[in-house]
Amino acid sequence: MTTDQLTTEFESFQRELKSFILRMTASVQDAEDIVQETYLKAHAKFDTFRGESTLKTWVFTIASNLARDLLRAKKRWPENVTDICKDAVLNDREFFQEALHIRQTSPQGNFEIKEHIAFCFTCISRSLPLEQQITLLLKEVYGFKVQEIATIMDQSEAMAKYYLHVSRGRMIDIFDQRCALINKQGICHQCTELNGIFNPKQKAQEELVKIEMARDAADKNKEELFDLRMKILQELDPFESGAAILQLHHLKHNRKLMEKHLGESE
Amino acid sequence: MSTASNGKAVTSKSTFSRETSVSVNIEADAAIIWALLTNAADFPRWNSTVISISGKIQNGETIELKSTLDEKRTFKLKIKEFVPNQRLVWGDPMGSRIYSLEKTGKGTQFTMSEKIGGPLFPLFASMIPSFDESFDRFAADLKKEAETIQRSKN
Repeated sequence: MTTDQLTTEFESFQRELKSFILRMTASVQDAEDIVQETYLKAHAKFDTFRGESTLKTWVFTIASNLARDLLRAKKRWPENVTDICKDAVLNDREFFQEALHIRQTSPQGNFEIKEHIAFCFTCISRSLPLEQQITLLLKEVYGFKVQEIATIMDQSEAMAKYYLHVSRGRMIDIFDQRCALINKQGICHQCTELNGIFNPKQKAQEELVKIEMARDAADKNKEELFDLRMKILQELDPFESGAAILQLHHLKHNRKLMEKHLGESE
Repeated sequence: MSTASNGKAVTSKSTFSRETSVSVNIEADAAIIWALLTNAADFPRWNSTVISISGKIQNGETIELKSTLDEKRTFKLKIKEFVPNQRLVWGDPMGSRIYSLEKTGKGTQFTMSEKIGGPLFPLFASMIPSFDESFDRFAADLKKEAETIQRSKN
């Protein structure tokens, strides 16, 4: 393989890589920096690529390591991150003014419930231990096999399976307790509340029937509902979707609040 | 002390010591069982005999364990041996809990034993509850969880 082929292949999965790093770090800036640094590293170390894995797995390994180095020193977010951020945002006029401006002026400023579901997952998955969060994303969202994940994480397949099992179970429990879309007793209604703010003429129920996870919630078990949630993430590019700018603005805001909440503000 | 490989605990007693042991074949890689045995914070999720473990299960570290055997007590235990995928020993001056893993044709043989004793053992022997039921549950929980992970999709 030549470096030209590296560039061509890199471009073919670059968007997926950027989306993966964004969902790991919850930061557009970090995602952009890490993707760029990954390419430079891959190019510089290309003579060490032996073809023992696919090029995509090799590149994701470089990117994961860069992101892990960045995140290792940072605290994990609490499971109730969205509650904490909601409480803070209720008193933040500036946030809503900015968000409504994006909603009115940006071609990627729509509000869609399914996009908020993906956003919500990104925030809450940052409560998992880092290795578990990465394993879960790689398997459930980006479709890597356990063997490939073990390579990316420099772990045994058994450990990758363990991380996957624990993280999946944890996230299923969290969403079962929190998400009112899948559990009537769920305590979080933020996606429909925000839909009321950003799409005042729209009826949330009419939107929810378009989302398989919400529509079929009563007929599916927790595992199936989690798979449907993951399907939403698989199908969404957080940088290219119709709601990207609005959701990324929201993500930036949550990240700032979390840094403050965890005492990590610069 | 010989231990039947049926997941049922066996206890032997002498004047100055008591030893309980359980062994069971688990249809899972030793590495999966090792992951379960060495992730302290995750224990209460799958193990019905453990209320909590704080600290790191790594060589030379000390953990604090709360068990359903005596919910009011916190046991401070030192990790005495740590051989990945093979052998883990923790304990205090009174005794040691030994976990061993051995590859078999159909998975991994898991054995857990604990010996407590010493010159003062006869004085407090009657105050220490039987470990048998707790050991049975520990082995059954571990087998169930490890085999579930082993069967998970690749």
